[in-house]
Amino acid sequence: MHETVEPLINDEYTGGPPTKRVLARLQEKRKEGRKVAGVYCGYAPTELILAMGISPATLCAFSNGTIEAAETVLPANLCPLIKSSYGFIITDTCPFYGLADAVIGETTCDGKKKMFELITDLKPTWIMDLPQVPDQEEAITHWTAMIRKLQGFLETTFGARATDDGIEDSIRDINRRNAMMREVFEFAALRPAIVDWREMYDLTFLAQGSSGKDMEPVLSEALKKLAKRRDDGYSYGPAGAPRVMVTGCPVGGDAEKVFAIIEEAGGVIVALDACSGFKPYMTDTAEGTGDPVRALAERYLKIPCSCMTPNARRLTEMTRLIEKFRPDAVIDVVLQACHSFNIESHKVGEHVEKVHGLPFLKIVTDFSLGDVEQIRTRVEALLESC
Amino acid sequence: MRAAGLDIGSRTVKLVVIEGGETVLTRKDLTSHDPLEAARALMSGVEYDVIVATGYGRHLLKGHLDCPVISEIKAFALGAKAIQTSCRVVLDIGGQDTKVISLNEGGEMSKFEMNDKCAAGTGRFLEIMAYALGYTLEEFPKAALSAERSEKINSMCTVFAESEVISLTAKGAARSEVALGIHRAIVSRSTALVRRIAPSGEVFFAGGVALNRCVEALLAEDLKRPVFVPPDPQMVGAFGAALHADRSIMKGTSHA
Ligand code: SF4
Ligand code: SF4
Repeated sequence: MHETVEPLINDEYTGGPPTKRVLARLQEKRKEGRKVAGVYCGYAPTELILAMGISPATLCAFSNGTIEAAETVLPANLCPLIKSSYGFIITDTCPFYGLADAVIGETTCDGKKKMFELITDLKPTWIMDLPQVPDQEEAITHWTAMIRKLQGFLETTFGARATDDGIEDSIRDINRRNAMMREVFEFAALRPAIVDWREMYDLTFLAQGSSGKDMEPVLSEALKKLAKRRDDGYSYGPAGAPRVMVTGCPVGGDAEKVFAIIEEAGGVIVALDACSGFKPYMTDTAEGTGDPVRALAERYLKIPCSCMTPNARRLTEMTRLIEKFRPDAVIDVVLQACHSFNIESHKVGEHVEKVHGLPFLKIVTDFSLGDVEQIRTRVEALLESC
Repeated sequence: MRAAGLDIGSRTVKLVVIEGGETVLTRKDLTSHDPLEAARALMSGVEYDVIVATGYGRHLLKGHLDCPVISEIKAFALGAKAIQTSCRVVLDIGGQDTKVISLNEGGEMSKFEMNDKCAAGTGRFLEIMAYALGYTLEEFPKAALSAERSEKINSMCTVFAESEVISLTAKGAARSEVALGIHRAIVSRSTALVRRIAPSGEVFFAGGVALNRCVEALLAEDLKRPVFVPPDPQMVGAFGAALHADRSIMKGTSHA
């Protein structure tokens, strides 16, 4: 930042990894006697978990450091996110896992599914069977049943309860949270940019397992600061810097090297189109349907994850984002050995280039630093063409 | 005004100086373990007004000379376009990576792809295989071209391919036929990349491996498309960087 402005979240964790802030908040919740459920994926129904008085905690999955340990059991040629998660667990270094009373997983990709089998004995673990042709009526019925079963699991494990009215309230609360997040994104879409991607990431990470009520003060403050930045004519990043939208697999921790490279190459990151970014906040759950769990099932099956087929929503959502954020280039980050995102990248690239006429780059990477220079060359070449 | 372009590659460093659109100096040397020192040695005594660096070591130079840098992709696109104005597809096989760049009508890069995760299918691969077969780099393509048929090499991993070569020769396979197999393996890797990025048109073939006549011939045969090798294929990137430097003087700015 060439001018100093007050960070959107300004606390003792500002500037450090966003995990620390979330951990502190969870520890507080724990002290208040709340139970914690570890989650790995965007399909875990936050509204239900919160309605049952349980706090969801995103488990660690983004460090290169735990991969070596994981590879004593898992094959090397596996998605680093899965290896890292597993490594964290067997080396007992994920504080969120330590806090968690139970773990919720979903059958998204084969790697995760089979990795879960290796950890089910360690803690009460519940795997939700995710249908993968999401637009069929049977898929919604099935996912509704799976959410009910999860509710049953949480009831027996924690003695927790939620009425349908309670779930409905939670839906409304999370919808409010998401709406506020989208207000923040409106500011992130401004041209020139006024937000650092790290600030966006701090917010998206914190909001993930938080209720609307908990996020309200943080987000109102952030919105005030953003309005001020806009009114003061503040801008982030070099003048005329190409605007970059990053899409693809979740990115965090050691994979943030890609974000750093984009900035070093002179770009400014304006949109994070991944589960680690804006995705969880883009759609709302229908309110007042009389069947809140079915409403949740419908909402969650709309997540445009590459494990779904066909996943046309990824492209329609992307168009929405491109129109709003007006990027000059799109970068698709694919984690090594993530077949679904890797294959889907072909369609994504064609969509970006042909429909939107924007330069596109796919980067396949892992959490190590070995390929930084190769990525740099590609990113520089992409931005030179903007 | 003399504009210089320096291309610090993984295997070789290249320097081109142009003046009034004409190349007035070209130099190259091995990168060695100390690319910065290699670049310095190459530049010693050379006069220029402005310099632009490219190649994998470009940022190294940037730190020491405070000169602008451009990516190899841009450098090759600029260089190739200036050498052959009709150029739309560039294939560069260097010491450690392979890249394919497609250019639009205006000569700007429109798409590119690189293979650089390992030495598979690059100059380094050829070098190691030549060595494993007991050929020098000069003899290697000649031997391959003399073969009537080729042994199939299944692995593209440098380490596995090397053991494959050793076991083939141990089984009594003709050296020249194994050599042809190696060349075919490299070519099929590169043509897959070319087809993906640029499905038609003449291919401008640059980089150190473009000096290899057998690769050139097999490329044309496999792609069924004309292949053009410029007179000094290793200098295309440095030439492109020099052109960029030259243009930035004209634009009154030396910023990349
Ligand atoms: S990308 Fe897919 S599998 Fe990964 S967290 Fe998001 S929804 Fe889950
Ligand atoms: S990035 Fe891909 S392979 Fe890795 S966990 Fe997510 S869906 Fe699975």
